[in-house]
Amino acid sequence: MDIGQIIKNLWDNSGFNRLGLAGGWQSLVMIIIALFFLWLGIKKKFEPLLLVGIAFGMLLTNLPAGDSDMIFHPEWWTGASAVENGVDYLNVLQHGGLLDILYIGVKTGVYPCLIFIGVGAMTDFGPMLSRPSSLILGAAAQGGIYLVLILAVATGMFTGGEASSISIIAGADGPTAIFLTKTLAPHLLAPIAVAAYSYMALIPLLQPPFMKLLTTKKERMTVMTATRKVSKKEKIIFPILVTILVSLLLPSVAPLLGSLMFGNLLKECGVTERLSDTAQNALMNIVTLFLGISVGATAIGTTFLTEKTLLIVVLGLGGFVLATICGLLIGKLLYVVSKGKINPLIGSAGVSAVPMAARVANTIGLQYNKGNYLLMHAMGPNVAGVIGSAVAAGFLLAVFGA
Amino acid sequence: MGTMLLSGIFASDAKISVVDALLLALIGVVIVFVVLIALMLIVTLVGKIFDGSEKLRNEHPEWAEKVNNVKSKMTFWKKKVAETAAPAEKPALAEGTCGELRLINTDERDAAMIMAIVADSTGTPLNELRFKSIKRVEDEEK
Repeated sequence: MDIGQIIKNLWDNSGFNRLGLAGGWQSLVMIIIALFFLWLGIKKKFEPLLLVGIAFGMLLTNLPAGDSDMIFHPEWWTGASAVENGVDYLNVLQHGGLLDILYIGVKTGVYPCLIFIGVGAMTDFGPMLSRPSSLILGAAAQGGIYLVLILAVATGMFTGGEASSISIIAGADGPTAIFLTKTLAPHLLAPIAVAAYSYMALIPLLQPPFMKLLTTKKERMTVMTATRKVSKKEKIIFPILVTILVSLLLPSVAPLLGSLMFGNLLKECGVTERLSDTAQNALMNIVTLFLGISVGATAIGTTFLTEKTLLIVVLGLGGFVLATICGLLIGKLLYVVSKGKINPLIGSAGVSAVPMAARVANTIGLQYNKGNYLLMHAMGPNVAGVIGSAVAAGFLLAVFGA
Repeated sequence: MGTMLLSGIFASDAKISVVDALLLALIGVVIVFVVLIALMLIVTLVGKIFDGSEKLRNEHPEWAEKVNNVKSKMTFWKKKVAETAAPAEKPALAEGTCGELRLINTDERDAAMIMAIVADSTGTPLNELRFKSIKRVEDEEK
């Protein structure tokens, strides 16, 4: 028995040795990034429910392993064969690692839809229904998506599908971003998902400077009065109406918006409390867990650490800022039209990060006028933004998705 | 843009020009606004219908009674079931009960509270009181 040979074989097969081979330094950088994200999620509590999962998936997939030990095979999903002939799901199920199996939910668009059922079950559309003009603010903030689309195309580095996927980061809606990207630019799923969720977590830092810059003190102090009470029947009719209207207009987004509205109907109809409870808690938690870890797994050093990723990070940041600015400007317009009855700060909540953006509007409002609680008023544009970003994604899918 | 006009769609892996992106952005923004403004109009309309019917109900409480009468006559499907099935016996009233109570625009929780308050303020045990109906009287509009 050659002990030396055994030790050599052990060393050759170890991940430490592989770190020194081609692509090793990228893996090392990605491990450091994963640890940084774990720190952000655990210590700084930035979107921990998702960021911890994404970071751990990133860590697992970048720890070097032999072919037979790999828990995720990116080439099966975005390699030339997959692009030309489609994904071989039988092979994935027979020979795939844990993360390959979990990734099926991302690739097929099942996770974003399931997440949206949970989001719908947790969303109260009441504030929006009581002030329908909120929908205009929700639409306005989607301007950021289209401005980023132009910027991404102008760089000359991205195809139409890639530019569309990057632009949807400005919608501040993780599931929608994943749903669009898995179809139009699956190879960019990791940087786009990571950018979208990271910026959503950073909304309390990103939005306030622009909110203060673009509004006057008088506007920020505007106290909004209570709106009409919304009846139970209206809340039940709304999700059904939206599903029919939007699905007829943009069928490509029907799974996403239909799931959102289905979840909301479970909540509002009053006869499916158990299902609503499951959607809000158990289902949401399980899917968040699977989604986070499998999206993180796509962030592999050799494909992640590129010039494009850096540009996506910059464009995504710009998108969030532009979406906030668009919402605020239309908010100012509504302030004038309503003769000072609508506080323009709620326009910034038109970006769909629910409920962070609404909370930020409330916090800034309170800073300038104690007792001026804008939260419920800001929730209107906030949930309208979710519908708006889904419509925007539906349009981009209709244009580029064939 | 010519390609788009011909086929109406782009391939996701093809590069597009800035002019195409500008036009797409313009159309996209218009579509988002059109859909959400259409939703806003529908939501406003539905809200007005519900508010209007609530207002009418308050102004003409006697209409609610008529509607209830009509509704009670529209249970033909129940009759069919009743014809085929054995006639169901009315559930026996609990001991000490003084009969059925009609609730008009009042939910059971409010009715229970009102009955408890009346019993307490009159010093009469609840099982000795007989409530025939409890009807919600709406506040006058200010």
